[in-house]
This record gives sequence, structure tokens and C-alpha cells, in this order.
Amino acid sequence: MYLIIQPMHERLSFYVKRDSPLHHLNPLTKLTLVLGLVLISFLSPWYWTPHILLVIAIFPLSLVGRVGREFLRTFLRLILPAASFLFFMQAFFQPIGDQVIFKLWFLDITQESLLFAFRNAMRIIVMVSSFTLFLLTTHPSELMSDLTRRGLPPQFAYVIISTLQILPQMQAKAQTIIAAQRSRGLDTQSSFLRRAGSLFPLIGPLVFGSLVEVEERAIAIEARGFTSTRVKTSLYEIPDTNLDTALRWTFIALVIITIVLKLWLS
Amino acid sequence: MRETAAMQSQKSKSWLNIGKDFNTMTWVLIPVAIAINIAIGQIVVLLKLPVFLDSIGTVLVAAVCGPWAGALTGALTNIIWGVTVDPNALPWWPVAFFIGLVAGLCANAGLFKSWWKVVVTGFLVALTAATISTPIAVYLFGGITASGSSFITAYLLQTGQGVLQAVFSTSFLVEPVDKITTAMLAFAIVQGLSRRFVARFPRPENVEPEGGTNQTQLYIAVGVVVLLVLFAAFMLRNVLGG
Repeated sequence: MYLIIQPMHERLSFYVKRDSPLHHLNPLTKLTLVLGLVLISFLSPWYWTPHILLVIAIFPLSLVGRVGREFLRTFLRLILPAASFLFFMQAFFQPIGDQVIFKLWFLDITQESLLFAFRNAMRIIVMVSSFTLFLLTTHPSELMSDLTRRGLPPQFAYVIISTLQILPQMQAKAQTIIAAQRSRGLDTQSSFLRRAGSLFPLIGPLVFGSLVEVEERAIAIEARGFTSTRVKTSLYEIPDTNLDTALRWTFIALVIITIVLKLWLS
Repeated sequence: MRETAAMQSQKSKSWLNIGKDFNTMTWVLIPVAIAINIAIGQIVVLLKLPVFLDSIGTVLVAAVCGPWAGALTGALTNIIWGVTVDPNALPWWPVAFFIGLVAGLCANAGLFKSWWKVVVTGFLVALTAATISTPIAVYLFGGITASGSSFITAYLLQTGQGVLQAVFSTSFLVEPVDKITTAMLAFAIVQGLSRRFVARFPRPENVEPEGGTNQTQLYIAVGVVVLLVLFAAFMLRNVLGG
């Protein structure tokens, strides 16, 4: 019964450095691929599309990107539990359909609710696992410098990259504070009122401690030309080949075809 | 002359400077606020409290940096949370966006200066959150989401209510407690910061505490709270009864 926040250093630095075709693609191409997969799985008029996409696109791509083992581990530890929880919630509580398959107390699972829950869970799985694949094969700063080169305001890039760095630090700090306050006798496990009362001693130091750093950091990055509006040169060149352009247009075309089919068939 | 040209070019280039709300302090505060949102959200889960409290950072940014900075913080919180920690947070980014926006608008209107005004802010934010989250829950999840409060929705559905009504009444029962607590905690944090520090943000005047308790103000406050409670009861009865 210890109160421990799981450190997520491993989770936040998803990126695995390998030499694979997927790693060599331009970050924007991979982002288009991911968004395309998500849109197609959500908009397709056919029931089995998300299921098929997972089998014929996402799993093979994880092998192409040579991150199969890491992908499978994330899939089993993070994605599958979240999706199964959603699946059971919906299968039990969705009040649609008449063909009762299974009855438990006042809850009944109907064929329709089962199918509905299964498709929804699959869509979530497709969405999250394609993002996972993207994060496994793309370094965040690579993505951000490419997007900045294409016109994304550099402040956005700063916010994303900075959050990914601060978050693990903040979680480590939270863990330290929880341990420190517990060693001083803070009650974090008994009655509701006591647990609610222990909220402020925990979040107070965490919030004030991290806000103190804000001013120093602002001065530091201002001194390094953060607010300068001139074009900044980048140390790294991110390749963008003709193949990338062709792939991007293919994905966009596929999404448009899906939308047209959806409108046409419904 | 040269100065005006430079100012013009800056204006045309940095389209994000909405009313100067985005200075360097804002850009540095946003990542910290996102991390605060996520870290406190996890602490609350560990303490097993029946609230989320995952938008304290968002409300904080909205109060001292304006509505658009708050909206950006909210949306990015859910997107980053969704892709790195819990996938179920991802579809709710519009809710977080509007929480930041409404909290910022309330703060601009002067509703972040004393505790009772903050309660009003929290209530308005809760109303927004309930309104925005209902269509997402209904059209994306068919009403039942992965959140614990879906048990209430499921119960209401079993009693024969429509999906839209069941989801909205559930949000309306859960959100005010959560959002008023969130706003109060954000207010307490802002009041705990030094004046010199807050003054470096774009909108320090939003959170300047009002000196002395004015008698008429207090009466207005009580009136507003009573009206809000009556409104809530009316809404609830209408929704539940209909």
C-alpha cells in the first residue's frame, strides 16, 4: 500500500534509435501516415476497417521500422489495458439492441452493444498504436525542427519539447514530496476527509517549487534570442525526398477516398 | 519611421501575439502548467479522491496570461497526456480548450479577484465543460466513456432516459464540484505567489485581490450564488424530469 507514482522516464523517451526505412522518412510524412490511419479508421463506412488496418498496416510497419519488440511491449502494457477497460464499460452499459447474449444482475450484454464496443475499442487501439509507432521512430526534436522549418511558430516547438522534458522531472519531484510528507506523518490513505486534506501539502510545494524556475528560464531563453523574429539556422538538415512527397499525397488521397465513400454509401 | 516599420513587420509576422498575451513568460509558463496539470491529476488518482483536478495549471495560465494562452495550455495538456500517458485523454482536448478559454474570459471580466468570484468562475467553467463534453461522449463513445462517472450515466440510461440527457445530467452533477475546487486551488496558488513575480505576466491586473470586503459586494455575491444554485436545481429537475 505504498503511494508511488510510476516514474515514466522510459515512457516519455519513446524514441528508439535504429536504422530503418521508417526512421529515414521525413517526420511530416510519418505524421501524415498516422493522421491518415486515424481518420480512415474513424470515418470508414465498413465495420471491419480498424481491425484490418491494425493487422495489415500497423503491425507490419512496426516490423519495417525494426521496433517490433518495443511496439509489442507498449501495446500489451499500455494500449491493450486502456482499450479493454473501455470495451467492458461499453459492452455492459451501452443500452442498445434487443438480442441479449448475457445477463448479469441488471446489466445485459446485447449483440449490438458488443459489436459497438468492439469497434470503438479497435478505433482507439488504431489511434494510439499508430501514434506509438510514430513516437518510436521519430525523435521529438527532429519533428519539431522540421515543422518549424515549414512555418510552425518556434514557440510551439519550444512548448512541446519543453513539456516532454519537464514532465518526468515534475513526476520525480512529486514522488519526492509524497515520500517527504509521508515521513512527516501525512495521512494519504485513511478517511476521505483526511485524504482530501492532504492534497494541499502535496501540491503546494510541487507547484510553487516549479513556478520559481519559470522566471529564471524566461530570462535564460530571452538572452538566447527566443523572441528574435529573424530566420534561425538549424544545425541538422532533415531530408525530404520525392518519395516523401509522393507518400504524403497518397495518404491524403486515401483519406479523401474514404470520406467520399462514407458520404456516398450512407 | 524605422521603428514603426519594425513594429509593423513584427505585428504581421507574429500573428500569435493576441493582445500581447504571449510574452516569453507565457511561453515558459505553459509547459510548466501542462506538467502541473498532469502531475496533480496523477496525485489525485493516487489519493482516490472523486474529482479530476487536472486543469489547475490551465486555469492558472488563463488567469495570468489571458484566455487564448489558457485554451492552448488545455488543448496541449490533453494531447500530450493522450499520446504519452493515458490514451483515453486524447479525444477530450476540445473540453480542455474551452475550460482555458472560459476561465480566461472570466478572469478578464474581473472574476478572479476574490474567493466568491472565483466560485462563480468555477461554476461557469463547469457549465462549459459539461456542455462541450456531452456531444463528444455521445457521438464518439455512445454515452459511456472510460471515466468512473459513467456508472451514473449507465444508471440513468437504465431508468429510460435519452442518451443526451443522461450524459448531460451526469456531467452536470460531477463537473461543478471539480471545477469550483480547481478554480479555488488555482486562486490560492496565485495569491501565494509574490506580487513581483505575478507582475511579469501579461495580465497581473486580473488576479489583483480586492482590498477590504465591501458590504454591497457581499450581498451581490450571496445573491449570485443563490441564483446559480436555483438555476442548477431548475436545470437538473428539467433534465431529470424531462
